[in-house]
Amino acid sequence: MKAFEELYDRHNPMLWSMVLRIVGKAPDAEEVLQDAWLQVWRSADTYQPSRGTVVGWLLTLARSRAIDRLRSRMSRQRAEASEHIEPPARTSEPPVRVTQLQVQEQMTVALSALPAQQREVLQLAYFTGLSQSEIAVRLGAPLGTVKSWTRQALSRLRDLVPQEERP
Amino acid sequence: MSAHREQHLDLCAAFVLGCLDEADRLELEAHRSDGCSECEAEIARLSEALPVLASVAPSSVPPEALRARILDAVRGEGAARAPDVAKVLRLEPRRRSSYAIWAWAAAAVVLAVVTVTAWRANQVLRATVAYKEAELARLHTRLDETSRWVALLDSPDAKVVDLTLTPAGATVLRARATFDRASGRAIIVFENFVAPTGSDYELWAIRGAGPASLGLIHPDAAGRAVVKLDRVDDPAAVQAFAVSLEHTGGSGNPNAPGGPVVMIGRLGS
Repeated sequence: MKAFEELYDRHNPMLWSMVLRIVGKAPDAEEVLQDAWLQVWRSADTYQPSRGTVVGWLLTLARSRAIDRLRSRMSRQRAEASEHIEPPARTSEPPVRVTQLQVQEQMTVALSALPAQQREVLQLAYFTGLSQSEIAVRLGAPLGTVKSWTRQALSRLRDLVPQEERP
Repeated sequence: MSAHREQHLDLCAAFVLGCLDEADRLELEAHRSDGCSECEAEIARLSEALPVLASVAPSSVPPEALRARILDAVRGEGAARAPDVAKVLRLEPRRRSSYAIWAWAAAAVVLAVVTVTAWRANQVLRATVAYKEAELARLHTRLDETSRWVALLDSPDAKVVDLTLTPAGATVLRARATFDRASGRAIIVFENFVAPTGSDYELWAIRGAGPASLGLIHPDAAGRAVVKLDRVDDPAAVQAFAVSLEHTGGSGNPNAPGGPVVMIGRLGS
């Protein structure tokens, strides 16, 4: 249990910010993360270092649940003929650590080094859960081009990661 | 497993980002089913970018109560998985929080971005300086060149002669030659030299041994041309400058006009 707590304390702040960015509502983010961490506990034996870093595995796991939550809420909202999505509730949250803010700011700078279209593809793909064909329609670009941009952008972002932080 | 193609690597990127369309997902799944080392390596490589992307989300702190609730829920699962989780924890290369890791990495990333930007700016600056230096050198050369020709025109030793029309010359033609016999330099200015269609004007130096071609005259649309000769051969022997009207391309013989001589200017002694 101690190991789990340590893993949680290390990575939950980043998972929380990412999930909240996707689902937009704190109560939804809490449910998503509870599911995600339970999944981490249950499937810890399936983690393979050859397939990526621990933090990458956790992010993928949590994001996938966040996107599922977003899609199910949007289809519910569509059924209710309402497409309004509330922005994240920030006022009642505890203050954010300076480190966290610095990282966010600096990573935004890093992302800004990418061409605008590639940057948009990354953000749409990662935070809105749109598929590549939906992104192509949204950007008015050919699907093949969107596929190339996706790989180029992710590859360039990965190349910015310092050698020391790679597995 | 289907044969590996470059397009599969594009699908790997979409897989990492979780934005594959269903048909592509099925294709990649089928391709990876028996293991494709290239795709697995690409997925692992691109996954390293995920924390960078996740870090762009607006920073926020999870509620304290969430931790207790999640830990309670996990305790309710029993202890069977505890060793697996401990193993995952051991596989982490660094014992720091993801934000602490990325705080350090972020600074390096920004430094890399800034360095690349500065390097590019430096390259542009260097190229601009090199271009400006070359341009300055060209201007200096032109200035020297112009000064030398102005000096010729001002030289008291230079002989100035207006070429006169022969009976074969059109009455509008005007030409003046400035010639420095000591250096062999000459400037000849032509006006109204619009050659009839299918013909060209050719300049000649006349010596005791006979004429020698100095080349075709290439006037502008108004018929104006300036011919600068850095060194006329055997300047001491030049007695006159002459112009002939030739078929297009000039006389075929460099020592004899093929057409009529239309102007001539004798230099005297």
